[in-house]
Amino acid sequence: MRLGRYELTLEPRPAVSAVYTVLTAVVAILLALALSSFLFLSADASLLGAYRAVFSYAFFNPRGILATVQRAIYLLFCTYAFLVPLRAGLWNIGLPGQVFAGALAAFAVPFVLRAQEQTLALPPGLLILLMVAAAAAAGAMLGGFAGLLRARLQVNEILVTMMLNSILFWLVAYMIKEGGPFMGATAEGEGFTLPAPLTAPLLRGVPFTAALALGAAVLLDLLFAKTALGYRIRAFGENPAAARYGGISPVALSLLVFLLGGAFAGLAGYHAFTAVPGVYKIPGNYGFYGDLAFYGIISALIARGSAVGAVPIAVLFAGLSLGARFAQGALHLPFGVDYALLGLLMMTFIASHALYQFRLAWRRVPSEVLQPAPTELPEG
Amino acid sequence: MWDLLARSLGASTIFLFAALGELVNQRSGVLNVGLEGLMLFGGTAAFITAQTTGSYPLGFLAGLTIGGLLGLAHGFFSITLRGDQVVSGMGLWILSFGLTTYLGSAYTGPLGLARIPSLMGLSPFFLVGVALVAITWLLIFRTSLGLAIRSAGENPAAAEASGISVVAIRYLCVTVGGVLAGLSGATYTLSYNPVWNYNFLMGWGFVSLALVFFSMWNPWILLAGASLFGIMWQLSLSPELVLPGVLSRYVWRTVPFAITIPILVVISTPWFRTRWGLAKPEALGRPYAKG
Repeated sequence: MRLGRYELTLEPRPAVSAVYTVLTAVVAILLALALSSFLFLSADASLLGAYRAVFSYAFFNPRGILATVQRAIYLLFCTYAFLVPLRAGLWNIGLPGQVFAGALAAFAVPFVLRAQEQTLALPPGLLILLMVAAAAAAGAMLGGFAGLLRARLQVNEILVTMMLNSILFWLVAYMIKEGGPFMGATAEGEGFTLPAPLTAPLLRGVPFTAALALGAAVLLDLLFAKTALGYRIRAFGENPAAARYGGISPVALSLLVFLLGGAFAGLAGYHAFTAVPGVYKIPGNYGFYGDLAFYGIISALIARGSAVGAVPIAVLFAGLSLGARFAQGALHLPFGVDYALLGLLMMTFIASHALYQFRLAWRRVPSEVLQPAPTELPEG
Repeated sequence: MWDLLARSLGASTIFLFAALGELVNQRSGVLNVGLEGLMLFGGTAAFITAQTTGSYPLGFLAGLTIGGLLGLAHGFFSITLRGDQVVSGMGLWILSFGLTTYLGSAYTGPLGLARIPSLMGLSPFFLVGVALVAITWLLIFRTSLGLAIRSAGENPAAAEASGISVVAIRYLCVTVGGVLAGLSGATYTLSYNPVWNYNFLMGWGFVSLALVFFSMWNPWILLAGASLFGIMWQLSLSPELVLPGVLSRYVWRTVPFAITIPILVVISTPWFRTRWGLAKPEALGRPYAKG
């Protein structure tokens, strides 16, 4: 665009400093929070009061803090599930399906061993370990299926994972509703309740999955920063063609990142339904957990692929989504403030992404360019 | 039987409108994976407008406008900023999913207007859909504008060299694609199933996206695919009409999605690609920078 003697253009940013990366993330989140004030316009409280309700419940109320931690663990697993394939340039939007697969597999362990009715056949510690392994394996299988199709035949992974989401959503309904195998003894439309010894052990109200989630953050960042495999994944993600010439096998890599991502989503499913006090079953509103998994997409995107960087973001989003639900009830807001926040975050992320990749250049047009160039060829 | 078929073709229409828009989009080289989001937003806007004003035309107008605006937003990101089209498309989808859940929640429930009259049970929109297929085919394969669209999707640099403005063509196509996605959403909420519910589409948009790939970017094949999926969808909703008492109704709901995956696999095999798949726009999903 030309304005008088100046020209305004968008040009790609050559190299982006770490500070700028953090800055764009912070700006994107703050902007989404600012925009969410529109959601509070119909509230029974002042704007400040609405924000206070959200934050005080999520981060200062003892019950709220525990709930925030629980949800942050869930979101972190979902974040990794999206983040690992993203580093290889692939989109795993199959988080809900893989979460459901993990949950079904975890509950299949006590179901198969008939542990929900009689005395336990195996020590509970071993059973819990089996449940964790089954959940991770089921998530990995579902993810790996999409990864394999992508790797071998270039089948669009977005479509496959999305179809798997719908399939698993209805499969869970089949399993827990209308006389399905996992249906609870008393409640209609819910899965059976896990016997107390099989629930995830808690330390001061925090399940052991917290340690897994935090440990995975460090390990993942080490993987990407320090190992040959991590380097290959990043190289493949940034330029698949160049990576192939460099001797990196796209088939093995695509499969691997999807297996790993799916396993994390499976763990998220394990955590959500067996480690959160007050749940301990696949509830009738399991679909909500699937929707919540999409926060994992946005936190991985805003963290720009850094697992450790995603930790504070996931904690914040966990608190915000819970606080929004709380404020919704307390201030008589319409349903779905937490969903709206998800949408707003996505919007500001895209805007910040544009600013991250491009800068506005404002420069003076050299005066000789403005003069019409001679159009006739010199003679001869 | 006729009722079921008519209802199925009503379902096909939803797939058809959205997929036809995406086809035009993709023919010009722009991939919009956020199709479902555009449909959700268009459908919600149409529903809210129709319910508050009591007017169907205004409802459709709102749906088409919102769809077109979101298509333009995708265009701005993917054409002007030359950003990653998957990022933008996914972003639009999650944005729409989140915002419509909030905006529409107060309107949860039936529309409460007299139903749009049908022709012996057949949705009039199906006929509109067939007409649009014919128009799109004529436009793409028999006009100079269509040639421009196809060349923008195949080889934008060559198109530009022959005097076509790739940017203008692509903007036109993403807007048309958005308007059609909005029409699809509006047809869903105003005619096919006039009850608003959060995330009412539950995968229709992604199936439509898959249908574009199945169609090999040909509107007539798209019509066949959409009709087939409409029938399958309707059967999965009421399996007792065909196989009463066999399997849970929840298992039947997985069928349209489960069938989509093997079809995607087959059309992705090297055999199929070399035999049939030559129609895929060469520059699909790739931003174009004027050299």
